[in-house]
Amino acid sequence: MKVTVVKNVLDANDRIAAENRALFDKNNVYVINLMSSPGAGKTTLVERTILALKDKYRIGVIEGDIQDTYDADRVAALGIPVVQINTGGACHIDGNMIREALPTFDLTKIDLLICENVGNLVCPAEFKIGENAKIMLLSTPEGADKPAKYPLMFQESAVMLINKVDLLPYVDFDLVKARHDALSINKNLQIFEVSCKTGVGLDGWISWLTDRINAFQK
Amino acid sequence: MHELYLAESILDIVKEYAARQKFKKVNSLLLSFGRLSCIEQKSLQFAFAVQARETLAQNAALHFKIIPPVIHCFSCDKDLEVDTYAAICPQCKGEEVILVGGTEELQILEMDVD
Repeated sequence: MKVTVVKNVLDANDRIAAENRALFDKNNVYVINLMSSPGAGKTTLVERTILALKDKYRIGVIEGDIQDTYDADRVAALGIPVVQINTGGACHIDGNMIREALPTFDLTKIDLLICENVGNLVCPAEFKIGENAKIMLLSTPEGADKPAKYPLMFQESAVMLINKVDLLPYVDFDLVKARHDALSINKNLQIFEVSCKTGVGLDGWISWLTDRINAFQK
Repeated sequence: MHELYLAESILDIVKEYAARQKFKKVNSLLLSFGRLSCIEQKSLQFAFAVQARETLAQNAALHFKIIPPVIHCFSCDKDLEVDTYAAICPQCKGEEVILVGGTEELQILEMDVD
């Protein structure tokens, strides 16, 4: 007997993500899901973003890592509430992991929740967590071929930060190609060229994020 | 790695349908996904075989309908199926292209059950 199903396999995750979203909406929390390869500079971007915005918004952070608390310790040092999710080998954070982490925050006292995903260009793109926007970093030493190799990540993201532009003189990174290939996957992708180390170009990102939070909270 | 999670989710959906439609055994499943969605067919098959042991889907065959990448070329003004994605039109070599298909997420289309 044939049974017609036509159902997304990740439907259960999507439902949990939608519940998280409803909770965030109720508490007026703007949520970003930050994704990249390992070592692209996610935690440094989190630190930079906190330093730029902490006087303006109440910020919370969820750090997803396979193990250890190095990243969470860096964020906690800035006086920001942070929860570490150790995914225990899972290559991404999903809706349920976020749901389980939420009771540790007082959501009524958070304007911006930053979720730093596990370093991986493949799996995190598939799993919704209830975010307002997916943000990705591509760092120049990784090479400009990444959009063509991992199109889903680029398609799902609202913003791509090309990080470590201070290394451009030393690495073979084709900025024109990276931009062109990424935009041919996602024509609405906002691209910022930045260095989280020197701070170059971060103004554009901070003002994009500020505009989004303000529009959301209205 | 996400194949393990996907296999688990497939089994959850199968069990949900079995409870509702009162079937006892799953012979095969027809799944679909876009070729660019980074799902590894063999890994998924392996993960599913392991997790389906001692369930109603034990030994169920997985069949796949893989959706090819499609780009739209603005110069040619048409959609073109491609083997692998590159941001260039395979016909006119124009660079004014956009990806329009091939990243579709994993779906269960049909189950064959007893």
